Order: sequence, then C-alpha cells, then structure tokens
Amino acid sequence: MMQRSRLFQRRSTPVLLMLGAGMALLLAEIACSGLCFADRLHARQRTAQLVAQLGLSDIALFTEARYTRHPSQADLFTPFQDAPGSLEHFPSGSLLTPPPHIVPTTGRARQSPPSPSSNQPDNRE
Amino acid sequence: MIFDPVVMALLLVASLGMAGALAGGLFAAQLLRQWNPASGDARQIALERRTHLAATVLRLLLLAQMAALVLFVHNADRMAILFTGAMCALGTLNVNAYGMPAFLLMMAVFFLAALWLLVDAADREGRDYPLTRLKYGLLLMAAPVLLASGILQWLYFLNLDPNVITSCCSKLFTPEGSGVQAELSALPPASALTALFGGLALLAGLAALASWRPGTLAYAAYGLSGTLFFAVAIVAIISVISPYIYDTPVHHCPFCILKPQYGFIGYALYGPLFGASALALGVALLALWPAPASLHDALPHRMRRMTVLSAVLFALFALANLYAIATSDLILFH
Amino acid sequence: MSGWKQWLARQRYLLDFTVAAMWRRRWRNLLLLLVYALVVFLLASVLFYGSALRRDAAAVLSEAPEVTVQRIVLGRHALSPPDWPDRLRGIRGTRQVQGRLWGYYYDRANGANYTIMVPSHFSPEHSLKPGEAIVGAAVKRLRDERGLGWLHLLSPADNRLLRLKIVRTLPAESELVSADLILVSEKDFRRFFHLKPEDGFTDITLRVRNRNEIDTVAAKISTLLPQARVITRRDILRTYENLFSWREGVVLAMLAAALAAFAIFAFDKASGLSAEERREIGVLKALGWDTRDVMAMKLWEGMLVSLLAFLFGVVAAWLHIYMFDAGVLVPVLKGWSVLYPQVALTPHVDALQLAALAFMTIVPFTAATLVPVWKAAITDPDVVMR
Repeated sequence: MMQRSRLFQRRSTPVLLMLGAGMALLLAEIACSGLCFADRLHARQRTAQLVAQLGLSDIALFTEARYTRHPSQADLFTPFQDAPGSLEHFPSGSLLTPPPHIVPTTGRARQSPPSPSSNQPDNRE
Repeated sequence: MIFDPVVMALLLVASLGMAGALAGGLFAAQLLRQWNPASGDARQIALERRTHLAATVLRLLLLAQMAALVLFVHNADRMAILFTGAMCALGTLNVNAYGMPAFLLMMAVFFLAALWLLVDAADREGRDYPLTRLKYGLLLMAAPVLLASGILQWLYFLNLDPNVITSCCSKLFTPEGSGVQAELSALPPASALTALFGGLALLAGLAALASWRPGTLAYAAYGLSGTLFFAVAIVAIISVISPYIYDTPVHHCPFCILKPQYGFIGYALYGPLFGASALALGVALLALWPAPASLHDALPHRMRRMTVLSAVLFALFALANLYAIATSDLILFH
Repeated sequence: MSGWKQWLARQRYLLDFTVAAMWRRRWRNLLLLLVYALVVFLLASVLFYGSALRRDAAAVLSEAPEVTVQRIVLGRHALSPPDWPDRLRGIRGTRQVQGRLWGYYYDRANGANYTIMVPSHFSPEHSLKPGEAIVGAAVKRLRDERGLGWLHLLSPADNRLLRLKIVRTLPAESELVSADLILVSEKDFRRFFHLKPEDGFTDITLRVRNRNEIDTVAAKISTLLPQARVITRRDILRTYENLFSWREGVVLAMLAAALAAFAIFAFDKASGLSAEERREIGVLKALGWDTRDVMAMKLWEGMLVSLLAFLFGVVAAWLHIYMFDAGVLVPVLKGWSVLYPQVALTPHVDALQLAALAFMTIVPFTAATLVPVWKAAITDPDVVMR
C-alpha cells in the first residue's frame, strides 16, 4: 500500500502514463489497420476485379488532362499540351512525375530523352 | 529518387553524420594535441566543457547512424520493385556503382559507432575523463569512414536510375558465377556448418572461461574471436543457412532472407549477430587498452556485463540458425 | 543486475525532477508540444496518405492488362489500325487480344473531363445495348443531381446530342479507378466520335498466358510492329510507385520549410533560458550536480516532448487519413479536376514509415536543442548565483 501511494505521488508517473497511453493508441491503430478494415480490403479486391474486367490501366485521381488521367499511357511531351513551346499549366502536373518508362526523371539529368519509338528497348524487361 | 520520404530521412541522417564527422574530427584533432587532464588552465577547462557537448552530439548521431543501417537495407528491399531485374535489396544496391560501397561503409560505420559508444559509456563511469584520449582517437579514425559513407549515400541516391537493368541476386550468389559471392556460395555446406557451430561452441567456451577467470587474456581472447566470428557467420549464412531458408540448394542470397515472405528471419539472424559482434569488438578493445586507475572497480563489472550480453546474443543467433535449419524442407545431409 | 536497477532508479529520479521543472513552465512547454505535434501530424498525414494510395493503386492495378500496345505517329499516340489485333493474335502466348476504344470528353456544361470507354468483350456483365450507359460514381454525382437516370452528351464531332440511359452506376468503392468513366456501347462510341470501323481502335490490350513470358511477348510485338509502343503491366505499376513516392516527397520537401521553422522555434525556446531557469541550474550545480547530470536532465526534457509529440501526432494523423478520409489534404490534391474520386483508403502502417518519420522529426528537434542545452549546463554556479 505504501509503495503504491508513493508511486502515484511521483511527478513522473502521470507523464509516463501519458506516454503509455500514446503508445497504446498507436499500437491499437496498427492492429486496427489490419483488422478493422476488412471491408475496405474486400472493396479493393472487387475494384481489382473491375480493373481486370474493363481492362483499365490508370488511377482516376486527376481528371483534368490526358497525361494526368492516364499517366502510364501518356506521350513524352503531353504536359506541354501538344504544342511545341507551350508550357504546362495544370497544377497537378507538379505533383505527378512522368512514368519511368517514358523518361528517366528521378535519376540524374541525362542525355536527351529518348523518342517514343527509340524507347522500345526500355520496355523490354 | 531523392523525393522519397525514406530516402530523405536517410539523407538527412547521412548529412548530419557528415557534419558530425567533420566537426568531430576537427575537435578530436585539437583535443588529442592539447588534452592534459592534469593541468587546470583555462584551455583545458574549456576543452573539458566542450567534450560534454561533443560526446552528447556524437552519442545521438552515432545511434542514428546505426539505426540508419537497418533503415537503409529495409528501404533497398522495398525499392526493388522499382528496378528491372531487382528481386531484393541486392538488386537495388547494384543499380549503380555506389550502392554496394555505401552499404559496406555503413556496416563499417555501424561497428565503429558501436565501439565508440561502448568506450564512451565506460569513459563516463570515471569522473576524470579516463578514456577520453582513446575515445577521440577512435573518432578521428571513424570520421573519414563516416564522411565517405555519407558521400556515397548521396551519390547512390542521386544516381538511382529506374531505367537501369540491374542484376538479380540469383545471378550473383550462384556457385557457377565468378567473384567473391560465387566462391562463397560454392563452399561445401558441411564445412560451413562445422565452422559455424564450432565457432559458436568455441565462443561459449571462451565466455565461460572469461566469467570463471576474468582477466585481460580471457577477455581479449573472447573479444577477438567474437569479432572474427562475424566473418565466419556471414560466410556460413551465404553458403548454407540461406539455402535452408529458401528450401533450395541453389539460392544463396544473404539479402532475400530479409524479405517478408521468409518471415523476416534475416532480422532475427543479423540483429543478434551484429549486436554480439559489436559487443565482442568492444570487449577486445577495452581488454587490450591499459585500464585507467579511476575505472579500477567499474571496468571489470562493465566488461563482464558486455561479455554476458554478447554471449547471450550469440546464443540467440545460434537459435535462429537452428530454427532455420529445423523448419527447412531442404535436406543437405543424409 | 543491480547496476541496471540502480541506473533505472537514477533515470526515474531525473525524470521526476525534469517533470517538476517542466511543470513550472507548463504553458511554454505545452505550446512547444502543440506545435511539435502539429508538425508531426502534417508529415505523418502526408506519409500515410501517400503510402496508402500507393499500396491501393498497386493492389488494384495488379489486374491491369499485361500488355498495352499503342501506335505512335509523329511521336504521339494515334489510332491503331483494325488489323492489329489479328496480327497480335499470331504471337504465341497471347490471349484475350482486343482493340480498346476509349477517349476523353470535355463536358462544356460543367467543365469536367470524362473518360468514355467501350467495355471489354470479355466482361459480359458490362455489355451494353446502344442508348445505354454505365457511369462512374463521380459522374453520377455531377450529372444526375435530379436522379433522372439520363445522360446528355454533345458529340464533339457533329454537335448532335447523344441521349444515354444510365442503366447502372459503378460501385462507389471502385472510384479510385472508375470515378470519371462513362461506359457506352461500341456503336454509340463510334457514332459519337465519328470513328469508322476502318479507323481502328484507341489501343490494343492483351493478356499473356505465362507471366514469365511478358517481356518476350513485348519484345516480339516491338519487332512485329515497329510503330508500336508497348507498355507492360510492370511499367504501369512502376509509374504509380514512382508517382506517389514523388508526390509524397514533393509535399514533404515543402513541409521541410515548416520543419526548419520549427527547429528554429525549438532552438529559440531552448536557448532563451529564463533567469529563474538559470538560477535553478546554478543551485543544482552548487548542490553537486555536474555538467553531465544537468545535460541528462535537459535531454530527458527534450526526449519527453519529442516522444509525446511524436505519438500524438502519429495517432492523430492515422485518424485523419483513415477515419476522416484525409479531409485536410484532399483539397490540396484536387487540382483542377472537377471530378474527384471519393476514396476510402485501406489502412496500413509499417515500421519503415514510422522510422522515417521519427528520423525526420525527432532528429532536427534534438539537433536544434543540443547546443542551447549544453550552454545552459556548463554555466558556473557562481555566475548565476551572484
């Protein structure tokens, strides 16, 4: 009994309790990520089925332009709206990268980007 | 690949490590020239005060570097899907010429950092800065490695090109190939297993000896054998333990065992192994370095604790190996 | 073992002392904690959102066509000739070769872009008669406020009105891939866009019997049809893996400014010691604490704040992304699109994310406070007490 009351008198106890509570919440969330969202997981599987049935190839996150609606199908120069010299103007273009099979964007700047037809070997994995 | 959260975190740690290596190296050079605990002049007092800052910064920095090794390998494994031909961390590391050297240097940093932290912990037990010279001599040695590992990490991540076709581990770690990996893969499994468990038995014996008859010689013997055993263990993992885990005699990759489909067993193997070897390295250094008078009481306790912890971790490593062999469907010996 | 116990007891006393000292400046520390937790919350939200999107995209697109063949003319995507499907069927290992018909349609009435598509022959449950349409849930929301079930589209080719009966809406759960889709029959599609059968198809998709042969098939197609660009499923998956990593990274890089500002804030808070704090340290040192003890106490202070802020920030970010569907982030990501999918992401937290997050938040904070902490700790007692 003595021990116990002294434990609660200690200054650090409430702080440690708070840390413990935070930790418990985080662990609960991690556990919940796997357990409580089975319905979303199933929905994802059904969506994958739909993708297979319709033969879809892209995510419908940005619908404003062709190269943002179907990034994996885009041409090399589409961000420039098909006209030489014109600049890209859709805001989500700054959130998207061109797909790696079109142009290396994330590596170091390299020699001039390959034209789509000379791009073939890159697709052979 | 710079704009990736994990890569940014790694580069942040690497950059801090580089800054720490530069500043720490300069400070260590100054300290080694001017350090004189017997003197009470202003310069010595100022130096002593600055060691408090330096030691605290380095402690946190080196801990972060050690954690970064795990993050680096795990991240390499995760990024394998981005590269044509890559199946695991090895493929990602081979995308350019900097990956493998960066990884090897990070391992070196891991051991140097562990060593430094162990010496630092011992040093703090004495109030008269007993091991400070050793500590900063060590730092001066570690600084170039730390710097180089930071530079290589930057080069590696800056030059990650998703269009490069990299080599898969199954092409490198195969007895038919050429190079060190191929030779390691071609080692006869029986001798590798003998070396592995023979080494572990020897270490157990030496640990028992060190706790029964503690002394410089016993600790040095344990520490040095433990350090050398690290190499034996890696060879054994490549040559015989990996095939057991993959259930196939032809796949020898020491990186694929870190993948989720093998239950992350690689972490159960490497974690204790790295920890135990680093502790053994620390035991060896502290045993061989002349013991300062102010640590006369504290140091033996510390050495004993380190040896016991190291031996326990080696035992865990042995258990992980036995588990891998016992649960395998592969039969190498009849 | 008694060494450990002793060590633990010492840390506990240090902690008691630290908490008491922090409590004396509770408002200041609370403010710091709040700002810190907010920074963690923002970073964690971006990380969680990005990685959940990446995982969902990868899971969903793992069923995308194994190979897509596009004809390239003048360096841009052109219609594939009608004989291409048959020529591709000649390649060993291919199956379900079909010409896809899909295109974009800009709706002048509301400024939205739709993707109009003819459902695959291999999906009988989506087969449509002329005059019928199946629409994505976002289209339904946008076009059918009155619930009439009809869609009127002005043909871009001849300004004639196409009247379609919405026979079905694609499930809302699949909005991630189907939000802007309008599925129509081939006859309607060709009439709407004035596309004659001899013009061919938008592109060709095919499946490959053996997964390991995808690359071989792709190479064969390149030789057979030099004009074609071949996109494999792996290309698609890599595009999205790359895209979302990049997006997360860009947002994080922008947040780096916030992080730097926060580090300066923390530095300022740690270096602006009040006279009272200085006296406290002076008293401690006069009582026999040495520099290391004072630093240990101050580091405990930083660690407590870091841990609490990290835990609360991450917990709140998880709730934000998965329970409240990223309410704070979505407006930023919407861009110019009028149609935007309402996506409930599948939760996922992994150790790598948390470790990266910890590195990105705790390391700068600790780095910013170390020097001020040391400066405070080396203060001579007589300087302060005088």
